[in-house]
Amino acid sequence: MDDMLASRIEVKNLTLSYGQDVILDALSLPIPSGRITVLAGPNGCGKSTLLRAIRRLHAPQSGQVLLDALDISRLTGKELGRRIGLLAQSPTAPQDMSVEELVRLGRYPHQAMLQPWSPRDDAAVAAAMAGTGVEPLRHRRIGSLSGGQLQRAWIAMVLAQETDIICLDEPVNHLDMAHQLECLELVSRLNKDQGRTIVLVLHDLNLAARYADQLVFVSGGKIRDSGPVEAMMRSELIAEVFNIGARIITDPVHQRPMCIPFRRQ
Amino acid sequence: MTDMAASPSPVHLRPGVVTAVVLAIFALLFLAGIGFGSTWIPLETVAQVLLGGGEKTSRLVVLQLRLPRVAAAAIAGGAIAFAGYLLQRITRNELASPGVLGVVDGAALGVVLFMAIFSNDTNSLVVSVAWQPLAAALGAIAAVSLVFILSGRQASSAIRLLLFGIAVAAACKALTTIFMLVGPVYQAAQAARWLAGAVNTINATEIQLMLAVLIPTGIVAAIAARHLPPADLDDTSSRSIGLNLPLYRVFIFFLAALLTAGAVAFAGGVSFIGLMAPHLARLLVGRARLAGILTSILLGAIILIGADLLIRVAFAPLEVPAGTVTAVIGAPYFLYLLMRKDNTNG
Repeated sequence: MDDMLASRIEVKNLTLSYGQDVILDALSLPIPSGRITVLAGPNGCGKSTLLRAIRRLHAPQSGQVLLDALDISRLTGKELGRRIGLLAQSPTAPQDMSVEELVRLGRYPHQAMLQPWSPRDDAAVAAAMAGTGVEPLRHRRIGSLSGGQLQRAWIAMVLAQETDIICLDEPVNHLDMAHQLECLELVSRLNKDQGRTIVLVLHDLNLAARYADQLVFVSGGKIRDSGPVEAMMRSELIAEVFNIGARIITDPVHQRPMCIPFRRQ
Repeated sequence: MTDMAASPSPVHLRPGVVTAVVLAIFALLFLAGIGFGSTWIPLETVAQVLLGGGEKTSRLVVLQLRLPRVAAAAIAGGAIAFAGYLLQRITRNELASPGVLGVVDGAALGVVLFMAIFSNDTNSLVVSVAWQPLAAALGAIAAVSLVFILSGRQASSAIRLLLFGIAVAAACKALTTIFMLVGPVYQAAQAARWLAGAVNTINATEIQLMLAVLIPTGIVAAIAARHLPPADLDDTSSRSIGLNLPLYRVFIFFLAALLTAGAVAFAGGVSFIGLMAPHLARLLVGRARLAGILTSILLGAIILIGADLLIRVAFAPLEVPAGTVTAVIGAPYFLYLLMRKDNTNG
């Protein structure tokens, strides 16, 4: 089924490095459009770097990221900003910026010197605020928001960009369980209701298994394996990727695979 | 993070209204600055002359004798304040200013070197004084480039940038002192007065030179300021919405260095205006960009005209450099900002 969907983004022979240190070596990965793909793996495996490379925030040493078969290095920053949105891991904005002001910044890639603010920009901002439930907070200052509210405000900013593809780098870090669920439910709705392609980096494997369509395991500078969640949640694969013992059961609430980790003897 | 950051801005006024009030204060002070002198010229006469009327003697006194000094104070104060606004906003740090980042001291070193190299035995310049702003600009840009090179990959960290800025400023200051000590005594005295910041000796030609540098730079900066709101975000977020923040930051630093150099080349080291004016403007109008820029520029002009006027009222006939007054007000202000718990707005 996944094979039938056309991949709009494709990672091809991508090698990423920090200076001399190669982080990821000759990766190839099609990302199914209209689906949720989660990148998972141990700390420092390079999954965030891969996500950044998909949005051209990290220049590859070699290889390409293709967007509709076109190398993204040939697009301008603003063109990319209209095609791929990215929410950084710990984004920061001035404490006295208002929520609405932040969301309006999502329209920046659509603006040009001779192209002033338009009704379309207003509509996009309104839709983004409504979709994330930050409409009532629009005049609040960033510094006065709770962690969950703040994350929704940032997601609204990314939504206002109106991109088909949205990348989120560990969006539930630093959130309590209720807000983690709220955030991922929101992301899931964006995918189900609006058909947006989502690429996520997540640490919590069970949340990943619940929300992902495709799961990608990154470890040791390589993609260890990738595919539909059911096929990826195998105890021996997880044991190898995370260097732990793992038992897979079926989550009795969501009927999704769930991992019980334990120390290997 | 702190209560201070989360509480709304202390003044709740429409930014446009605040800017209009500040503009009115500026206009009054500008006229008063011209009116005040050995003989008082009524403000309406000053206004009349500036609008092209008035009798011959008052025209001579106003246009030839009094105007250059006040105009120079307004232009220099405004330009340094604009530079300070750009620096505070792009570094997201209210302690950033042309003085703190080494721009003023770099420009000063440029001017002192210029005086040392291009003077003959009789202490007169062998080249046109028109080159002085270029020397200041080169010094300012060299200093700011050095700050950037030293901070390297950490240039996006506001704190690192400030630390290197302070270090480079100190080094420039030391070199300036050395060149003044080894130079001829007369030249050292001249340089010392200039370094302290004085607008009383500026003539019409020098004002034209200042404007020739500052007007084009100011226009480019005003256009570039369009991208300041996305630059308020962290590097990753601003880049992901399509702004090349690292490059833009360098461009803004360059513009701020040019604005400072253009002002400092003639007005001297008028310190702390670039720190105080944009900070006060932010307290008055909040984050509004256009009102923030205009209010900063007007406040910068007001502070320098005011400092110069105070000197003429309080110390006459002694000519104390205006920079002394701005330093006397500015240094405690800087300390106050340093001691506040929340000294960044990021």
